[in-house]
Amino acid sequence: MSEPHPIAGAPSQAPLVRVEGITKSFGGVRALRGVNLEVRPGEVHALLGENGAGKSTLIKILSGVHTHDSGSIEIAGNKVAFDTPAKARDAGIAVVYQDLSLVESLSVGANLMLGREPRTRLGFLRKRQLMAEVEAFLKRHGIPLDPRVSVGSLPFAYRQMTEICKALMGDVRVLILDEPTSALTGDEEQILFDAIKTVTDRGVGVIYVTHRLNEVFRVSQRVTVFRDGSNVGTFTTAETDMKQLVAAIVGPGHAAMQAQETTSGRAERTPPAATDAGSSPGSPVLSLSNVSNDRLRHVDLTLLKGEIHGLAGLIGSGRTEILQTIFGLRRIETGDVAIDGETRQLRSPAEAIECGMALVPEDRHVQGLILEHSIERNLTLPRLAHFSRWGWVQQRASVQGARAAISRLAVRAPGPATPVKNLSGGNQQKVVFAKWSHPRPRVLLLDEPTVGVDVGAREEIYILVREAAKVGTGILVVSSDLGELLLLCDRISVVADGRISKTFKRGELGDAEELHHLIQLSQTADEQAA
Amino acid sequence: MTDPIASRGAAQSTRPQPDRLREFARTLLRGERPYMLYIAFAILLVIFSLASPWFLSVDNFLNIGRQTTLVSIVAVGMTFVIIARQIDLSVGSTLALSGMAAALAMSHINNSWIVGAIAGVGTGALVGLLNGLLTMRLAIPSFLVTLGTLSAARGLALMVTNTKPVIITDETYFSIFGEGSFLGIPAPIAWTLAATIVGILLLHYNIFGRRIYAAGGNPTAALYSGIQVRRVTTLAFILTGMLAGLAALVLSARSHAARPDVVEGMELDVIAAVILGGCSLFGGRGFILGTLLGSLIIGTLNNGLVLLGISSPMQLVIKGAIIVAAVAFTKR
Repeated sequence: MSEPHPIAGAPSQAPLVRVEGITKSFGGVRALRGVNLEVRPGEVHALLGENGAGKSTLIKILSGVHTHDSGSIEIAGNKVAFDTPAKARDAGIAVVYQDLSLVESLSVGANLMLGREPRTRLGFLRKRQLMAEVEAFLKRHGIPLDPRVSVGSLPFAYRQMTEICKALMGDVRVLILDEPTSALTGDEEQILFDAIKTVTDRGVGVIYVTHRLNEVFRVSQRVTVFRDGSNVGTFTTAETDMKQLVAAIVGPGHAAMQAQETTSGRAERTPPAATDAGSSPGSPVLSLSNVSNDRLRHVDLTLLKGEIHGLAGLIGSGRTEILQTIFGLRRIETGDVAIDGETRQLRSPAEAIECGMALVPEDRHVQGLILEHSIERNLTLPRLAHFSRWGWVQQRASVQGARAAISRLAVRAPGPATPVKNLSGGNQQKVVFAKWSHPRPRVLLLDEPTVGVDVGAREEIYILVREAAKVGTGILVVSSDLGELLLLCDRISVVADGRISKTFKRGELGDAEELHHLIQLSQTADEQAA
Repeated sequence: MTDPIASRGAAQSTRPQPDRLREFARTLLRGERPYMLYIAFAILLVIFSLASPWFLSVDNFLNIGRQTTLVSIVAVGMTFVIIARQIDLSVGSTLALSGMAAALAMSHINNSWIVGAIAGVGTGALVGLLNGLLTMRLAIPSFLVTLGTLSAARGLALMVTNTKPVIITDETYFSIFGEGSFLGIPAPIAWTLAATIVGILLLHYNIFGRRIYAAGGNPTAALYSGIQVRRVTTLAFILTGMLAGLAALVLSARSHAARPDVVEGMELDVIAAVILGGCSLFGGRGFILGTLLGSLIIGTLNNGLVLLGISSPMQLVIKGAIIVAAVAFTKR
C-alpha cells in the first residue's frame, strides 16, 4: 500500500494538484519525508493521520506559509512554489483553518467581501449592493447565514461557516478544509457537505483534513493517510473500510488499534458506573432545580456520584451554558444548586472550585490553558492553595506534582518546564484534564473534551473520564459527537432552547442516529411551543 | 493499554534534580536569557567611557545609582502591572501627589517621619486603587484610566498648595529616606534593593506572582482556573502606587521639600526600563531582575548624555530614539 495505484473506473482527468516527494525539516526535525498527494478536479480527497503526522505541514506548504525543502508541486500541470500565502491564493488555493481569520467587529457580509467591496466612483462603500450580493450568494448555496449580523456575536459553528463561504467566494480551484466539522452539529455538517458538493460540481478539488473517520466515508472519493511524515497509502473510499484506515493511521502494533475496535463496537458496551458495585450511584452529588438565567429556562438536572451524564443538543441550545452556570461563570437568577444535598452559592469560578467543581472548557487555547506558560504553571493554577504555605509557593512540590501528572496521564513532553504551546492538541487536552486531577473534584464538567484530539489520545482521554467516574466523581459531558456520548455516558439529557427536554438511560437509546433524531424532535417540539 | 505510554512518561520524569543554584537562577530569570540586555548595557558603557573621561569613576557610578533609584523603585511595581497586561501612565503624577501628601501631613498633623511615610505610601495606594477599580470594574482600558489620573493627580498636587513647595524639617525622615545609610549602603540605594527584593519575593515566590502571570498570560483561562483576575490586577495597581509613594519619600528626603512639579515624564523612563528588561506589553512575561537592569540602562543613558554635555532637548530626542531601537532589538 505504498503507492497509489491507478484506480480502475476512476475519471481519467489530469490531476489538479500533484505533490511529489515533498520534504520539509524544522531545525533537526523532519516533518515531511517525501510525501505524495494527487487531487483531481471535482474530487474530495481526505487527508488522515495522527497529530504530528505531517498533514498541517503539507497544508502550510500548499498555502504558502512554509516553503518545501525538496520535491515538486504542480497545479493543473504548472510547476509552482509559493513563498507567500498571497501567491498561493492567486493560484486559486483557499484554506479554511481551524483557527479562523475573520474580523469580529464586522458583519458577515463585510467579512465575505473584505478587500473587494463594491464602491462608488468616489470610493464610498455601496453597502446595499454589498449586502445584496452576499445575500444572493448565500441563497444560491443554501447557506443559512444573515449577512448583517456581526461575526463577533455568532456561535463558533456559524463563524466557521462564514470562513468557508469566504473561501468559496473567490476564484477557487483548490479548497483545503482543516478539520472543518470539529465544532459543527449534525445539521450544520450537512450544510457544509452540501456546500462542498456545490464547489466540487464546479470542478474545484477539495483536500479534506479530519480526525473523524465517518466523515471520510460521507464526503470523500479518495483518502490518503500520512504517518510520521510519510505516505502510508492512498485508498479509494468506496473500496476501504474503517478498520483498514485506522490500521493505516496508527501503524502496526499500536495500542489504540484495539481501542478503536472497542470504539467501533459502541452499542455493545454496558454502562459501567450504574452497574458498578464500588460506587454508590444512588446519591446525587449535584442537583439543579428550576435554575434560570439569561440563557437557561427552568433547568432541572441531577447528577449522581460516579455517573457519566451526557448533555446532547445543537450548538446554541444551552449545553455549554449549563456547564458555565454550574461553574459560576453565569449568574443564576432563580433556582437552586445543591452540592451533596447542600444548597450552595456559585458566584465565581473560584467559589465553584472551592465547592469541588472542575471544568474542562470547550476552547482549550482560549479558556483552558496559558499557552506561553509551562506545563507546571498551568497545572498548579487552579490549586495554588494546595501548592503553597502562607501564600508562598512550594516550588518543589509543584514541580513534583507536575512530573507525577505528566507520567500518570502519559503527556508526551520533555518535562514540566515545557511551554504548553509546544505540545500537540491531544497532549494539551491531557494537561487541561490534569489541572483537575488532584484533589479529586466532586463534579467534573467536560465541554467537548475530544475536539481536535487524535484517535490515540482520544481513547486515553476516555479512559481518564471512566477512571474519574469509577472513584466517585460525577461527570457532566457536553459533546457534539453523539457516538462519543453513547460510548461514555450512563444517562443522556437532551438540551433544547435553554432547558432540558428529556433524559434517557443509556439502555433506552440505540445508536447515534436515534439520538440525533431525538435532538431534532425536541428542537421542533420547542419551536411549536414557542 | 496505557502501560507502554505510561512507562515512557515515567522515564522522562526521573531526570536528575537540578542543583539549588540553577533552580534559583531559573526562578529569578523565568527562563529568559537576557543576553541582549547585557550587550546593550555593555555597549552603552563602552561608548560613554570612550566619550567622557569622568564616566568610569566610582563617584559617577554612585551618581547613577542615586539617579536611578526613583525609576528603579517604581519600575518594580510597573513590572507587575505590565505582566498583568495593563499599563500605568500615572506613576509620575502619583509620585508628586504622594510627596505633597507626605510633606503636608508632617507639617499639619504631626512632624514625624512615620506620619509622612504613611501619608505618602497611603496616597500612592489610593491612586493605585482608583486606577485598578476604574480599569477592572468599569472595563475601561488602563491606558485611558491612567492617562486620566496622570493629569488629575498632577493637577491635585499643584492645587493643594497653589503650586508652592512644602518644606520638610524632620531630620529622622532625611536620614531614613535620603542621607543616612543601611549596612553601609546609602539609603536611596538600600530602598531600591528593598523594593527589588520584595518584588522578587512577591513575583517569583508568592502565589500572588503566579496569579499575576496567569491574569496577564491569558485572562480567560485564568478566570476559568479560579483566579480572581480583577482583584489580582487591582492589587498590582495598588502595589505600583505604593512604590510611587515610597519613591516620593526618597525624592523629598533628598531635597528636604516636596514639590508638585517633580518628575514630569517619568512614566516614559519607567515603562522603557520595564520593557527593556524583558516584559511583554502583551502580558504574561517578564522578571524583576530584568527590570532592574533595564532601569540601570535608562539611568546610565541619562547620566552619560549629561556628561557628554548634550543639550536637554537633544537628550530627549536621543533617549527616545535609543529606547525605541533597544526595544525593537530586544523584543522577540
